[in-house]
Amino acid sequence: MAEHGTVSIIINGVEHDVPEGERLITAAERVGEYIPRFCHHDKLAPVGKCRMCLVEVEGPRGSALTTSCTVPVTDGMVVHTETDVVKKAQEGILEFLLLNHPLDCSVCDKGGECPLQDQALAFGAGESRFIEEKRTFTKPIPVSELVLLDRERCVVCDRCVRVADDIAGDPLLEFIDRGSYVQINTFPNEPFSSYFSGNTVQVCPVGALTSVDYRFKARPWDLESVRSVSLVDSVQSSVDVHTSRGKILRVYGAENDAVNEGWLSDKDRFIFSAFRSPDRITTPLVRDGDGFKETSWSEAVELVAMRLGGHVGTEVGAIGGANGTNEEAFALAKFMRTVVGSPHIDAQLGDGLDPHLASSITARGTISDLDAASTILVWGPDLKETLPVLYLRVRKAVRNGAALVVVSPYSTGLDSIATHSLRYRAGSGPEILRKLAHGDAGYEAVTETLANGPVVALVGRSSITENPMLAEAVAAFARSLPHAKLLPLLTRANVFGALDMGLAPTLLPGRVSTGDAAGVSLLEDSWGPLPESAGKDTMAMLEALIDRDLVAVILAGADPIRDCPDPAVAESALDAAEFVVAFDAFMTDSTRKAHVVLPAALWGEVDGTVTNLEGRVQRLRRSVQPRGMSISVSAALDDIARAMGAELGAADWQLINKEIAAVAPAYAGMTADYLTFEAGEEGAVVPIPGATQPLGHIPVEVNVPVVTGRFTLHLAPALYDAGVLVRNSHMLEGFADPGVVRMHPRDAASLAVADGDLIDAEGVGLPVKIDPEVPERSVVITRNLDTTRGIAASADIRVETVRGEP
Amino acid sequence: MTAVISNWSHDNQERAKRIIASYPEKRSALMPLLYIASLEHAYVSDDAMREVAELTGITPVQVQSVASFYTMFKRGGVGDYLVSVCTSISCYLGGADDVLAAVESSIGDVAGEAAAERPITVEHVECIGACGGAPAVQVNYELIEGVTPEKAVALIKWLTATRPEVILTDEMQQLFGGRRSFEWGSTDSEGAVRPIPAFGPYGSVGGGSVGGGSAGR
Ligand code: SF4
Ligand code: FES
Ligand code: FES
Repeated sequence: MAEHGTVSIIINGVEHDVPEGERLITAAERVGEYIPRFCHHDKLAPVGKCRMCLVEVEGPRGSALTTSCTVPVTDGMVVHTETDVVKKAQEGILEFLLLNHPLDCSVCDKGGECPLQDQALAFGAGESRFIEEKRTFTKPIPVSELVLLDRERCVVCDRCVRVADDIAGDPLLEFIDRGSYVQINTFPNEPFSSYFSGNTVQVCPVGALTSVDYRFKARPWDLESVRSVSLVDSVQSSVDVHTSRGKILRVYGAENDAVNEGWLSDKDRFIFSAFRSPDRITTPLVRDGDGFKETSWSEAVELVAMRLGGHVGTEVGAIGGANGTNEEAFALAKFMRTVVGSPHIDAQLGDGLDPHLASSITARGTISDLDAASTILVWGPDLKETLPVLYLRVRKAVRNGAALVVVSPYSTGLDSIATHSLRYRAGSGPEILRKLAHGDAGYEAVTETLANGPVVALVGRSSITENPMLAEAVAAFARSLPHAKLLPLLTRANVFGALDMGLAPTLLPGRVSTGDAAGVSLLEDSWGPLPESAGKDTMAMLEALIDRDLVAVILAGADPIRDCPDPAVAESALDAAEFVVAFDAFMTDSTRKAHVVLPAALWGEVDGTVTNLEGRVQRLRRSVQPRGMSISVSAALDDIARAMGAELGAADWQLINKEIAAVAPAYAGMTADYLTFEAGEEGAVVPIPGATQPLGHIPVEVNVPVVTGRFTLHLAPALYDAGVLVRNSHMLEGFADPGVVRMHPRDAASLAVADGDLIDAEGVGLPVKIDPEVPERSVVITRNLDTTRGIAASADIRVETVRGEP
Repeated sequence: MTAVISNWSHDNQERAKRIIASYPEKRSALMPLLYIASLEHAYVSDDAMREVAELTGITPVQVQSVASFYTMFKRGGVGDYLVSVCTSISCYLGGADDVLAAVESSIGDVAGEAAAERPITVEHVECIGACGGAPAVQVNYELIEGVTPEKAVALIKWLTATRPEVILTDEMQQLFGGRRSFEWGSTDSEGAVRPIPAFGPYGSVGGGSVGGGSAGR
């Protein structure tokens, strides 16, 4: 008898201990016996569809062929995987699978990495007895704008259907005409428009589902694969970046069970097409009248050094840094605090959370804590729109039995599977929190659910219009729940890394508060004296620019005009600034106001480390050379520092990486070498054993006012908005909504407007969409669309009917 | 979105509601609802599948996946008479291919193709349980056994010329059938009035005589 939790099975005469209850195919693979398969997939429920995994299992009535992907191992199980009977079965199944499968491997994207090709070679008979004509279909047909389908290649494994249905929750792909004419298809005029459609391309074991973009681009053996991280959102999914001749050709989800379990959102998968956009900034630019003229790096560096050096340090601010690596963020923090001598640094744009809450929340959970949660509380941005891969993880937990409580001012992607979904009028969050905390009448069922721990609470701002202090109060409440773990929700890709590197007015590298005297003096030992005055956050910096308290500002991949709550303030601030230098890959509303624009490398083009919303650090690896003359922000800052007569020590990312491990207490020992050689593919969560975590943030219950006013505003985030990368990606642009003002039917009635009528929302004209999901006296507008980006993120909004020509 | 069920007859709407209410899960009502959809038009249109999807809380393609599996849920228009020629093994050995060819050439139709504008739709089907009387043919699911190519042609002529209101198996058997597999005993005097299988529990006895619909007779 095997030890506890394992059972002993005999495969091909050899005894093995394997985990109890595991599926035979997985257990066999664990001990080195590979059983061929098509429909089996580790992350999908077993279906036993393809019959490729037949093995002989001995039973009381002799041995019988059994699908090893559906049977769990039992103690004493005797299995044969290589007998003549098994071989004959495998050959037979392959002969059937190839009955209708075309011999077009030479022009098929999957050729060379095709399980059907490989297994036909390894386990097939080599010849078919079928001489009948094969089935053909019109090919290819689009199942969505991103995915094409060649139906004759399908082996009916059901993987794509299970991904669409079970994983993504978008059951829009199905088998039609089941029987000998079976095919995969969508309903007429109802495409597979899922945020997760690309995963079907990755799991299809043949070339039936292919990516529109990658089709006919390369052969797999010509691809180089680099394991890296997707810097699209703060989940930081693991990816394999496949390149050929210096170009990224496709991005695949990499197995990292701690993070994304191999899944990606389509934004993770296809955003790289923006990297090769013709609109990339590829040379340094300096202002020339109304426009820009190209210049050399050395001239640009001289100019920036001169202009920044010409001001008192505290008159300079820096905004951004949340889209690059930790090393870039650290270099910017060090540059500001030591070379420039300014404490005014912020990676967030007034759209985030208290940096202490975000970086050092206590009882911080991990993504995989969701798997073990009894109850999940989501009170923050719509996960499906902002952190889609985290949305998948919550879906999985719910599928496995966790209860889910969603609290939000508008419907979210998770509502349909929530045990309780509580809706509140935007701005009245504090009210519902109070009721929940006090177990008010009507909320007993919810409080009962929340009393069932362990609880994992995902807490953030449901939208930029929500008071950030509400999140603090929600976190305090969540902390009081049984065995609670918290995950702070900020969405910008490396915002947690940036905060950990000290890109916040109140934080120093390694989760040290600027108010922590011991921490400050420790850092001063290596950095020299730090600026003494208090740092300003982004909104304060913008105000200060208008008031001339600040005169120069550095934008590190930040576009305050788009992203901060008040576009008008950001615009006047940048207009008022004497000097603006922007590191960016694209021209944005804000970079257009800069005096110098420096071409920044994007994440596929730089090396370094990044930190996700759990505090997990992973290696980000360069897969292609930076476009044109782009370089990393840190390398550029190093040059600028030198031109200002200082040494930043940021010429190369590894130097910075070592310095982080040396001076950032929570990151002690977190070197690239540690990540590569010790942490493994999952990365490591800060702090690693041995390091210290000086700052611990215990959220406090604060008194947050309820917003009054005739209409309150929820500026809902959307996955596909008019963000700079989406609009520069030829694959994803055009997916964004046109933009509407959603309101409750009764409000529409009281304003006497109907669906489609134009309405004036704080000066912006938008059509009305009547939507009973919107609470009364509240309006919902999708944020950052071309049509809606002018709307200030104030908590209440003026909505008026447009009286004009009929 | 509101249900687009409104173009179903009142009776069928009521029937649908009752059926859905009788299951703990709405989606369990899928098959009976598809049947009711066929009662409406004698086939399941895309619109009908959208309706059923909405009523059962699943997606249209999931409905289609089920509807397209069952060949008796027709996807296209069916004429007033659905002639089903069995081509499974017993009938095949008894010459079903010739019967089918004769039927097809006599109406100039191709088996299986939708022919809404034609009064007669021909299809070939798998075993209809009359192997003992092979080759077997059905008209609106009413059976004739022992059919020869000549008799099949006569059957088509008869259908075209007389356009019978009610299809009666005994009558057809007498006119166009051959040897019966066995004496069936009971005689079915009700017959079929539409090309829809009879199914009492969901409102159709004798091929849609109850409830009726917009199409058919
Ligand atoms: S399309 Fe691919 S993934 Fe989908 S069932 Fe066919 S072979 Fe499997
Ligand atoms: S892998 Fe087991 S049946 Fe397909
Ligand atoms: S084979 Fe034709 S009825 Fe059975």
